[in-house]
Amino acid sequence: MARYGMALDYKSCINCRACESACKAENGVLPGRDNYRIWVGQKEAEGEFPNISIASMTYHPSQCQHCDNAPCQQVCPTNATYYDDNGVVRVDIEKCILCTYCINACPYDARYVDDRTVTVDKCNFCSDTRLANGETTTACQATCPTKVRTFGDLDDPNSDISQLIAKREYKQVKEHLGTKPKLFYLL
Amino acid sequence: MKAEISRRRFLQGSVALSIAGGVSMSPSAIMASASASTKPEDIGKTKKVATLCEMCVNKCAAFAYVKNGIVTKLDPNPYFPKSRNMLCPRGNSGLAAIYDVDRLKYPLIRDGEKGSGKFKRATWDEAYSYISEKLTKILDEEKDNRSTVAFCAGEGMAEHTFKNFYTGFGSAHFLNHASLCLATTVSGYSLTIGGYGQADLENADYVVMAGANRAEAIVTPDSMDFFKRTTGRGAKLVVVDPRFTNTAAKSDKWLGINVGTDLAFVLALTYVVIKEDIYNKEFVENHFNDFATYKKHVLQNEYTPEWAEKITGIKAEDIYQVARDFMHHAPQSIYYQGRRTTWSKNDFQLRRAQAIFSALGGGIDIKGGICFGKSIAMEGHEVSAPIYDQAKSRIDAKEAAVVGGSGTWVGFRNMVLEGRNPYPIRALFNYKHNPMANMPNSAKTEAFLKKLDLVVTIDTMPSDTVMLSDVILPECTYLERTDPAKVYGGIEPAIVQRNKVVEPMYESKPVIEIMRGLSKKVSKPLFEITKKYDEEVQDTIEEDGEEATYEEFDLTKAFEESQEDLNHHAVAKYAGAAESLHAKGVFYPNMDKYFKKLNVNEYEYYPESKKYYSVMNKKFKTPSGKIECNLSSLTKRGIDAMPTWKKEYEIAVPDGQFRFITGRHAQFTQSGSSNNKMLLDLVPTNYMWINKRVASRMGIKFGDEVEVASKVGKTTIKAYPTEKIGLDTIFFIHGFGNKSQELTLASGNGGNDANIIEDSIEPMHGATCLHDTIVEIRKV
Repeated sequence: MARYGMALDYKSCINCRACESACKAENGVLPGRDNYRIWVGQKEAEGEFPNISIASMTYHPSQCQHCDNAPCQQVCPTNATYYDDNGVVRVDIEKCILCTYCINACPYDARYVDDRTVTVDKCNFCSDTRLANGETTTACQATCPTKVRTFGDLDDPNSDISQLIAKREYKQVKEHLGTKPKLFYLL
Repeated sequence: MKAEISRRRFLQGSVALSIAGGVSMSPSAIMASASASTKPEDIGKTKKVATLCEMCVNKCAAFAYVKNGIVTKLDPNPYFPKSRNMLCPRGNSGLAAIYDVDRLKYPLIRDGEKGSGKFKRATWDEAYSYISEKLTKILDEEKDNRSTVAFCAGEGMAEHTFKNFYTGFGSAHFLNHASLCLATTVSGYSLTIGGYGQADLENADYVVMAGANRAEAIVTPDSMDFFKRTTGRGAKLVVVDPRFTNTAAKSDKWLGINVGTDLAFVLALTYVVIKEDIYNKEFVENHFNDFATYKKHVLQNEYTPEWAEKITGIKAEDIYQVARDFMHHAPQSIYYQGRRTTWSKNDFQLRRAQAIFSALGGGIDIKGGICFGKSIAMEGHEVSAPIYDQAKSRIDAKEAAVVGGSGTWVGFRNMVLEGRNPYPIRALFNYKHNPMANMPNSAKTEAFLKKLDLVVTIDTMPSDTVMLSDVILPECTYLERTDPAKVYGGIEPAIVQRNKVVEPMYESKPVIEIMRGLSKKVSKPLFEITKKYDEEVQDTIEEDGEEATYEEFDLTKAFEESQEDLNHHAVAKYAGAAESLHAKGVFYPNMDKYFKKLNVNEYEYYPESKKYYSVMNKKFKTPSGKIECNLSSLTKRGIDAMPTWKKEYEIAVPDGQFRFITGRHAQFTQSGSSNNKMLLDLVPTNYMWINKRVASRMGIKFGDEVEVASKVGKTTIKAYPTEKIGLDTIFFIHGFGNKSQELTLASGNGGNDANIIEDSIEPMHGATCLHDTIVEIRKV
């Protein structure tokens, strides 16, 4: 029993997208531009050459926010979307009927259709591929060159993530929707 | 470049697709066809093997997971100080390299016109025999002039193994990437401060990165150390680049410089710190040789920021500020050396000027500056280097002032094409090198390869160069072989070893086995040729007998031992080293004591007090033991003794035309990764950067096909209008636009820079000038 979350030192992100590659390889996500569990959002630079606004070009690594109050879970008619014992929002592919309500309900655009199972797929913090085998990090965290991500147990005050969010300022995405996300963007 | 479009908009299509097919394109389908030799007791178990990445030149440590004989995942291996604890996207995509269906699977011998793409399958023995026959004939005709056969190699752990064959063979011609890559910067820094060094980006306070793009062209540990500290978190970064790169996005100041004018920028920085007397006096007084002459040179030539502004397009006030800030933070200030630096004619002088400017702050051989670090001694492996009396010296030695052991590739190729070679060049042995893509003017490279009587290429993929070869020998990928253990010296030195993860697929072999087989076949017949023409050898035989004489010429000796045994022997003097290299892929003295996990992401390799920041004891590895300002010995070779700006460096871009520049991004290495499915999934093709306003005037929109043409060739590519590039500059990523039809995904995908870049070389090392080409574009 844990309450898993992730802190992102997003200013360190260089947009190399190793996380995307590692995630796809680890979790068998199919090739294709619309198939992804995690991504790096990029804003195009503003200004005219040679006066480009440096601050305008930023990179935002992202994935499922594993909300404590997840809209995707609320709309699921078959209870395919559920919280597991570690607070991870997951999809039971046996129950998913691909009604896609969850895809529309998710304010973070974190879900997509997996063509192998013909069900909805999303980030599950590598619960089945890594955590179940005794690993303590997700594939995206492990591979990251600049170590943007810190995954861990929010209920354990001694975990790296708890220490980080206790010490550092952070922001969360679309908090006002009341989703209680468990991704923390360190400032 | 990825458009931020919600997936939801594609939902309809997505669902439809699922219903229509759901065809699995997962690598597992391909993997299943792999000949997996799994022992019954291992079925279902996961094995973890320490390997070393070969997707680019960095050699990051990795762990490969193997299940039922199939490599299922690559993870970072935290034990190697150089690569810290990470794998970039290319590192992850090693899976798609080993399981690429287009891989070279068995030996092939050309069976049609050169370039026709027609080959017939051969056994290894047939291939070796074919090579032996051809080689013997050539050397007989050339009276044992071994230099009529050239050797070239791409960078890699096993380049050394291939080079052992070259050494035994006795040719004067070895060619590699140096003159297409970093020759000028390595020698510019070495001749000035005594080494290329390692920029200590973990501790520097102020860094100028000019042309180097460490957020995209990832170099370890630089990229990982540095970008944790940029954007107001400890290190100031100034990026000087004609493009606004991902590195620029991490900078405190970005200066969009005119292409090819960096030398004027550095000279103006130097002018400011001299004029304002703000350089490190103590360091200059004690450790500079002939600074007075350089000072006079810079002041008398009036390399002022106002002068530089007109050339570089960078405002004088910015130059003043960078110069002052640099010295304010010195000695923890670095003018970053850069790597792939063969840009323009003045490149060697530019690197000299950078090194001198960096040293003016005193940031050499010091924490936070450019460090030289330490190495770890390993036991060498003796190979004989026989002397062939008939072998003539390099043909390209006079093509530049100083032509090193790896030649001037473009100079060499052009001499042969233009018939300026004093004796024939008949054959080429090529290991893992793709001159068709890596050398400017591919039309000339194609003609060069066609002109040779025998081209033997060892590679994993059917590259454009492979398709123009006579014999193709399939090497296995890095995940299928153990390579020579190697030391990575530096602030935190370590020995690393690539261990075989799975058995070689198809009929591919590691290069050491290829060399073993080939040398067994050719050694004796080639010695017969030497006996026939080499009077020295004839005399020796008379004195010592044939058997004793042959000993020295026996090519097979270098490949007798297995790579595993050689590695074991190399580190025998360190207790536990061989075991550590096998299990962890890494070893360094005291590793068991020093190596510590700090948190979930970070490790400590050496305690701070044991890191090799300062090792020179204030005596640099230059002729005078000091920083060399004035290399007067170079003038007799026609090279300026001091960095000097010349009018000829100012290349005007005619109206309606553009200066072409090339480079890299993090999801692609070079042509070697052009067919990689996982990487193409991230970035499907390359795009031509063109200024948005210019594009709009020309009616060019995102995704439009345009033809880019220079004096030497043309290529077609999709356009990406952006304000991140200047009005008269065009850019696209190197390595795309392959011709080889055997590369299913890469063939014809994107634009090919080797088609259009003109093949001029700079005067110091004959390194190629990759950024001196003017192009025209038109919508097609």
